[in-house]
Amino acid sequence: MADAIPAVAVSTTTTRVNPTGSWKYIRPVWRDRVAPCNAACPVGVDIEGYMNLLREGRDTEAIDLLLRENPLPAITGRVCDHPCETACNRCSLDEAVAVHAVERALGDAALARTQGEARTRHNADRVAVIGSGPAGLSAAVFLARLGYAVTILEAAPEPGGLLRLGIPPYRLPRDVLDRQIAQIRGEGVSILCNVRMGRDLAWDTLDWFDAVFVATGAHRSRPLGVPGEALPGVHAGLEYLRRANDGHAADLGERVVVVGGGNTAMDCARSARRQEADVLVLYRRTREEMPAIADEITEAAAEGVRFLFLAAPIKVIEQRGRVCGVAAQRMVLGHPDASGRRRPVPSDEAPFSITADAVITAIGEEVDDAHLPFALEGGAVPVDVLGRCGTPHFFAGGDMAGHERTVAHAIGAGKRAAIGIDQHLRARRGERPPPDDVAALRWGGAGNLSMSRWRQDDPVPRIDPVNEVVGWAGINAAHFARAPRLLDWIVPPGRGRSGVREVNRGLSRSEATSEARRCLNCGVCNDCHVCMIFCPDAAITPDPSGHGFVVDLDYCKGCGLCAAECPRGAVTMTREGL
Amino acid sequence: MKKVMVGNHAVSWGVKLARAEVISAYPITPQTQIVEELSEMVAGGDLPARFIKVESEHSAMAACIGASATGARTFTATSSQGLALMHELLHWAAGGRLPVVMADVNRALAPGWNIWTDQNDSLAQRDTGWIQLYCENNQEVLDTTILAFRLAEEVDLPVMLVLDAFYLSHTSEPVDVPDTELVDAFLPPRVARHRLDTADPHSYGALVKPDAYMEMRLHQQQAMSAAGEAHERFARDWSARTGRAWPALEAYRADDAELVLVTSGTITSTAREVVDGWRARGERVGLVKVKMFRPFPTAALRAMLRGKRRVAVLDRNISPGHGGIFAEEIRSALYDVPLDDRPALWGFILGLGGRDVTPETIDEIVVRTREAEGAPEREDIWVGVKV
Repeated sequence: MADAIPAVAVSTTTTRVNPTGSWKYIRPVWRDRVAPCNAACPVGVDIEGYMNLLREGRDTEAIDLLLRENPLPAITGRVCDHPCETACNRCSLDEAVAVHAVERALGDAALARTQGEARTRHNADRVAVIGSGPAGLSAAVFLARLGYAVTILEAAPEPGGLLRLGIPPYRLPRDVLDRQIAQIRGEGVSILCNVRMGRDLAWDTLDWFDAVFVATGAHRSRPLGVPGEALPGVHAGLEYLRRANDGHAADLGERVVVVGGGNTAMDCARSARRQEADVLVLYRRTREEMPAIADEITEAAAEGVRFLFLAAPIKVIEQRGRVCGVAAQRMVLGHPDASGRRRPVPSDEAPFSITADAVITAIGEEVDDAHLPFALEGGAVPVDVLGRCGTPHFFAGGDMAGHERTVAHAIGAGKRAAIGIDQHLRARRGERPPPDDVAALRWGGAGNLSMSRWRQDDPVPRIDPVNEVVGWAGINAAHFARAPRLLDWIVPPGRGRSGVREVNRGLSRSEATSEARRCLNCGVCNDCHVCMIFCPDAAITPDPSGHGFVVDLDYCKGCGLCAAECPRGAVTMTREGL
Repeated sequence: MKKVMVGNHAVSWGVKLARAEVISAYPITPQTQIVEELSEMVAGGDLPARFIKVESEHSAMAACIGASATGARTFTATSSQGLALMHELLHWAAGGRLPVVMADVNRALAPGWNIWTDQNDSLAQRDTGWIQLYCENNQEVLDTTILAFRLAEEVDLPVMLVLDAFYLSHTSEPVDVPDTELVDAFLPPRVARHRLDTADPHSYGALVKPDAYMEMRLHQQQAMSAAGEAHERFARDWSARTGRAWPALEAYRADDAELVLVTSGTITSTAREVVDGWRARGERVGLVKVKMFRPFPTAALRAMLRGKRRVAVLDRNISPGHGGIFAEEIRSALYDVPLDDRPALWGFILGLGGRDVTPETIDEIVVRTREAEGAPEREDIWVGVKV
């Protein structure tokens, strides 16, 4: 028997004699969809795209792709509250990809690159940008890239707006900010400081420009509205921070009460801790309702900041002409208010007092409209999605025009305004007609706008893209192993954490690449070949272009295994074309 | 080198020494330790094989079939419900003439839910075209695992080696682990006579019309016949290399016996003790151990039992509506023996669902068989049941 060939059922011809494709009533199509991080990013970054390039070892292209949508990654990598990570599908598998840390590593690598030549202008139009905060810097650099001559007018002696005045150096080192701004100047943006519009220069001077983007922020601390607020020893949060960040912090004494639960309150509290004060944060709701970034709250607590929740100040107590304490009222949570959070209402308990040498108020900022050419509505400049505010040639954005006051939202608003201005001026120049559907520029139809889509020069080859976000249900978890999220290296609380020393040291480049490999590349074909491996008819082959796949419809019997097995939801079954 | 190991790990070591290339399995008590150990051998780099995790035994056998078709040496293990779930694919492996080796740890079928030993799971697969080899102790388990690959690849048929749940699977015994060189000399790498090749794609297991199907089955049957002869050859070869003989049929003190017990699996060891006891009292009681159930060693068995007066077959299984399965097979084998030389046969059912079979149980069988007058009262005599 050993030499005999056993009789088995084997076809004498190849399987190609049986065109099993005639059996099908559905067929697979490869369609790149949108990763939830991209759709959640207030800046509109192609996060999935640069993660994929990093995974492939194409670091330079990854940095270019990131910069294309976010000109300030070294900054957002440090201070953004990263809604991308909250949206990350990997949360359902183990933990979100540490997008902020990867972005920071790429942003720092971009700063270390040698600067290229400043862009040459493509047209004669000039744009003025008022304010050099994240919104202004963002709009300016995007407009410069679009071929405009851009001049930023900044009221302060140095550019950066809230990035410099409001964010402490232990979160955003000043050399990072300076190098990021230098890079933006290198892209052809002029920045003139010490020019406050409406005071140093009349608004109508700007008629010389073809368009104006106004992003002067919200700088006026909202008053507490309680007796004693004007006493010496009571500091407005942003003013305290501005001086502290400049190295001239006000003398606070030993005991400090910070009133408020937002990022300004956290920055004030942490800065006060660095003056070795005993810091108590007074917040009228609970930790769950605090609007501050969760990481900041955790960090503040780790540094020894104490919290007293459900308590609101009713009076600043005076002794010998200055602050000696705060009288406070216990609160309880009532019914939800317009923000959806439960409204704090005074409890029946008697007021109590807290000893304090200084009080810092940080219950929110308002737009100072004293020198603005616009009227405010509900405390903000009313604008549409592209920053148009009803005044011809004027656009506005950032904190002054929105209530989601984060650095990322400001950068996103600057990008939208740059698109709005480009659309406006192109129409005026009689160039390409503006698209009538801004939604097509949005990631997933509801995210922020993509500059690559506006410019129609997306470097990522996309397969028949659809503007649809892939959720966890679209991911085939069987193809992914659990892997722990790489953590930033954080200076532990203690003596080493003082002064301006940066608390979060981020990831190394190689760690960032490892973390990028955790990305599931949701919705986007990354040529993993799973569809090809699982096809029982061997009907799927790599596309000759080197990206994507082609299906031999004569043999694909429409079983749908490729779509079911695709790890990332990039293959769907359709009746189209049959 | 001697090691103390449970029967399950004896299988794993056999598979490792046989240099299996693809292992695919789904866990089930009492088999799980086999593939657990193998997965660790693969993960640790001690066994350069692919270990394919699957979601069911059906898929495990499907993966083995695919791998075996490419020419790989392939192994899986299962028990009871898992083997039942594989049923359809057992035919595909055998009909495809693929030398897959599988360990089945005999476990009773549900309901009632039961993890203990009996042989109904493997015997229910009698007609799937698999060679079946039953083992008595852990040394035989390890040696048979290695032999199974050589036998399977010689005749292009799949082999199921069978061991009792817990009595072997989870019981530690000293086992002599042969040297790699010895096993390599005994078991050369597989040379597949058919080989699935993606560069020259053909359809395997395709439609075969009535004009050819029957010949395929005839080839399969001829291969089964050849397997009996091949097993004898390889068992001798193994014995020459190791000094350990595991024949398809083993006669124990049966030459002059008037009464012969026929057993399989671990009951054999207990029966040896019982036989020794009766011999010590001067009674001519002997034993035949059946290792190979498929192909059934009809001629050898006939020769061994010819001329004996009484035969008692011990079945740890039941074909409901008929009787003990070994008893039925042996009755059938003895039919051609002339009446004068043909022993009377008692078929006993015992030990189902892991019920203990003690020396006393077997003593009772010897007594009942010796003292019976006339023909057996029925074809299935149940022993040790609470009535």
